[in-house]
Amino acid sequence: MKLNPPDAYWKKDAVLFFSKRFALLIKMLYPMALIVPVAVSAIPAQYAAAVIGIVAVMAGTFGAGESLTADLNDGILVRVALTPLSPQRIVFEILAVNAILDFIQLLPALLLVYLLHPAPLVWILAATFGVFATLVTANCIGIFIANFTSSPADVLLYATAILAPLIYVSGFFRNQNPTGISATLRDFVPFAYMNDSLKEVFGLTTGAVPFDVFVYPVIIAAVLAFGVCLTGPRLLSPRF
Amino acid sequence: MLEAKNITRLYKSSGRGVEDVSFEVRPGEVFGLMGPNGSGKSTLLRVLSTAIAPESGTFRIGGADGLKERREARAKMGLMVDRPTHYGDLSGWANAYLFARSYGMEKGKAQSVLVELFDYFGLAEYGDDRAKTYSYGMGKKLALIEAMAHGPELLLLDEPSLGLDYTSQLAYQAKIRELAAAGVAVLVASNQVDEVEAMCDRVAFLHRGRLVALGTPESFVSSLEGTRRIVATLRNPVEYGALEGTRDVERVTTEGRDLVVHCAERPGIVAEVVAGLVDAGGDITDLAVRRPSLEDVYVKLTGEALRDYEA
Repeated sequence: MKLNPPDAYWKKDAVLFFSKRFALLIKMLYPMALIVPVAVSAIPAQYAAAVIGIVAVMAGTFGAGESLTADLNDGILVRVALTPLSPQRIVFEILAVNAILDFIQLLPALLLVYLLHPAPLVWILAATFGVFATLVTANCIGIFIANFTSSPADVLLYATAILAPLIYVSGFFRNQNPTGISATLRDFVPFAYMNDSLKEVFGLTTGAVPFDVFVYPVIIAAVLAFGVCLTGPRLLSPRF
Repeated sequence: MLEAKNITRLYKSSGRGVEDVSFEVRPGEVFGLMGPNGSGKSTLLRVLSTAIAPESGTFRIGGADGLKERREARAKMGLMVDRPTHYGDLSGWANAYLFARSYGMEKGKAQSVLVELFDYFGLAEYGDDRAKTYSYGMGKKLALIEAMAHGPELLLLDEPSLGLDYTSQLAYQAKIRELAAAGVAVLVASNQVDEVEAMCDRVAFLHRGRLVALGTPESFVSSLEGTRRIVATLRNPVEYGALEGTRDVERVTTEGRDLVVHCAERPGIVAEVVAGLVDAGGDITDLAVRRPSLEDVYVKLTGEALRDYEA
């Protein structure tokens, strides 16, 4: 499959991702720089899992949100939206390619974690899957935020406002053993499934079932992706 | 090809926009849209390009309803916005290719058409350069290529030649004529009077969001028969208010260092204007008496519309 010259919107993003070598090096190195020291350290499993989770959530949310607002401000995205491509399809391509590129960035660090913390294959697969579902969800949040602001700085602000409660509910740092409504809410946040499977990889038993990690985050992320694609016409319309 | 009926779109923040604008552009016709800054040209093009919806009114592009069949309408048009942007880190060629394919062009066809257009507009040797290294004019040419490549039935061009060098302007005008001869309808929003006069079959004037006149350039210019334009280049600026009191002088405007006197044609008027300028302390370095052009129509129409509005 030939990427350059791009003949689809997602290929454009892929070409840009791989074309700038220095930027690519930094993009590939920074997750390693954050995750590997944690993986080799002796910090409790729940916090090691939380650090990886935070890196995934941040990479997904800010990546899509900031690049989208930059393109919207530039006017190029509105111009692309005036081609016969459907806005929903454009948003879907933005979402899919950003999630996959974020995943490519995180994958080397994840592989090192798996190497340093050998775990049952099913949990390694579940954790990898959970990270991807988290990236899709986080990108959905980033795209959703871009509907309401054209300022990359505002993306940071709004993202923090949305992510803070979700991270709390997922039990990254606090609320690790939720009960009642908090436990029910937790079931609807894909970050939680990633967190559970990463804890398992780091050797902490959580009571989670791998099946849940393979099924529920997919359903939730698919619903979010569908919803965020529906915002395409609004997202890609000119702003005055 | 393009039928616009009673288009109204006003911005809530400024109250500006377009109001009750109707016109049509036929296949093979080059239609000019003129008007001062803020007259609504760009708003009208935004509506017709389907970027924003009008508050009222309808438009059709090649039979496709611009409000209900947006994607069909978009597929039939080529668009160049007033401030074209590109993906700066992609090459010029990659940008154009991405757009061509987004319009549904088949790979081989896109390749061959783009080779031809890059060559025609003198961008062939810069095709592999990143778009962010392009000059403003080169960016404009790239936007023209992106608008034309997929063979649209209607071209919507906003200030297309602004920033183009002279040779590129000629090339662009020749290409527009060639496309029009092949049946493409072209709508050009421009304030380049010479270009509109030379290229357009019909012209519409917008002022404060309303269409104040529509006709052929020839009919507009002939409506000004009996008027003259005296263009005086002055070494120094002068207070020219008194000149407007001279008999048969309609208005006086400035264009850079030139003072332009719009007046009726009658014996002795040039001498009176020159005397008035000298009396005002003007040091005339060059003087020309010109027949009316579309520029005078523009000034007359926008001036009249302004007076009507103020009244």
